[in-house]
Amino acid sequence: MAGRATSLDWSEVSASYSRLLEEVGRRMRSSVDLRAEELASRFGYLTYMVIRYREILGGLDEVVELLEAFERPLPKTIRVNTLRFGRVDEVVERLERLGYAFSKVPWERFSYVVERSGRVSLGATHEFLLGGYYLYRGSASLIPPLVLEPRESDRVLDAAAAPGGKCTHIAQLMDNRGLIVATDVSRERFRALRTNLERMGVENTVAIRMDCRRVPELFGEYFAKALLDAPCTGEGIIQLDPTRKTKTTFEDLLSAHRRQVELLVATLRAVAPGGRVVYSTCSIAPEENEFTVAEAVARLEGVRVVKPEVGVDLDPGVTEYFGVELPRELRLCGRTYPHRQGLEGFFVCVLEKVGG
Amino acid sequence: MKCVLGGGEVFAHVARLFGEEALGAVEGYTPVYCFGVFTEVYLLKEPLLGAVELVMRSGRVPYFAGLYAGRLRSSRPAFIPSHILVEKIYRHLGRLVRAVRGSEAGIKAVLYGRDLLAESATSCYEPVELGDVLSVVGPDGRVYAVGLSRISSCEELGRLGRTDTVVKTVFDLGWYLRGGTVPREVKYRL
Repeated sequence: MAGRATSLDWSEVSASYSRLLEEVGRRMRSSVDLRAEELASRFGYLTYMVIRYREILGGLDEVVELLEAFERPLPKTIRVNTLRFGRVDEVVERLERLGYAFSKVPWERFSYVVERSGRVSLGATHEFLLGGYYLYRGSASLIPPLVLEPRESDRVLDAAAAPGGKCTHIAQLMDNRGLIVATDVSRERFRALRTNLERMGVENTVAIRMDCRRVPELFGEYFAKALLDAPCTGEGIIQLDPTRKTKTTFEDLLSAHRRQVELLVATLRAVAPGGRVVYSTCSIAPEENEFTVAEAVARLEGVRVVKPEVGVDLDPGVTEYFGVELPRELRLCGRTYPHRQGLEGFFVCVLEKVGG
Repeated sequence: MKCVLGGGEVFAHVARLFGEEALGAVEGYTPVYCFGVFTEVYLLKEPLLGAVELVMRSGRVPYFAGLYAGRLRSSRPAFIPSHILVEKIYRHLGRLVRAVRGSEAGIKAVLYGRDLLAESATSCYEPVELGDVLSVVGPDGRVYAVGLSRISSCEELGRLGRTDTVVKTVFDLGWYLRGGTVPREVKYRL
């Protein structure tokens, strides 16, 4: 599995990331064995994915747990929107009258896991149409806005904002004060963003359809905080879309990585010294996560990783992968897995720009 | 598409429709008018102004900003307020005006894009003008639709037949399910 260790510091990573990932690819291919192939075939995955999960988790027994967890449906979650309904209880009680039962998400004060469904679909109740809640297909998406820690006076950038779950959550945490600039490029997804901002009664957001890579040239270092919930392969939400078991090749991962690095560098550039950037994906692929953060941080001076403060017992970031060592600081990033935290596979990393 | 910051037109419409007192609900907001296929009006709080000015100076326009106030028209009704604005005004006033309260069954029909009929109208709040804006409020006091009045006063309600239309729905919240992401945002069916 792990061959000769290749250890790098931040500055070396920048110059060598493509070499590093090529090396990862070579070592990964040479790690294929019958047991991994059998497991991949049993659960319907591409073999290279199982090889990588073994590398991340440390053994095939736990990979089986992960793959079995990916077969189980994720419990739905709602975040009650206090911008439209003053009392959280009011929305919950109204939904309970429709037959729903909930349990509280212990680490997010507005959110509930759906334990029993009611008579009307959660996406069609009067309460939903009135903007009473946002519907999630898992709870991990609640983490990035919380660790961003937006304050009411902040200027916040949501760099890939559509369809708006995290943007409306940030607006709620800011009590509709301050400023959020929400950008996204997809025309279709942008309409969903607008719909959600309007339905949820968000008033502190300016939505601009543009590539976030152009944000720094338009705004400079305008923002105190920024969230980049980056477009990714979705390797953490296989429960929701089983086609992801076979649709992403290793080359697709590398291509996603390159794009994510550009987006993250631009997002970091748009934040003032002393500011905070949260990078997240719904993927457990180190290529899209730790490698992306490592390269973006290496390209800019004065960025450090900070441990996210949230009431979830996050797994540490991966710092050794197929014998390639990444900077130790990346352990401060957080990961979730369905078989460990009961959440979708997710990655979050908090970065701070030094100075200010 | 072009946007212009500032100008009091929307406030004049708010005062005309809901009374001078309603202006308190939009105090401190600056309007931005965006002219495209429709003239859309947004209301911005102070922290948003700098960002919107930067965006507009760069030759871009915001896709959405602040509080969506509604749509300006060249014919009557000259202004169709958004349900969010109407609800904000009702909260500020502490009472309903230009509204009809609908029964549970009536609200259900309205959310399917149908009009509110007399049999489903449980109460009515003046002023009401034929052909002008009238909101549909649910038993819970929430605004479920904004439409055009088919009656010229609340008194007329008692004289209508069961299936006569009271409010011709222009926008209802069911749009968020039916058409929230469709390419042409013809939310206001006029």
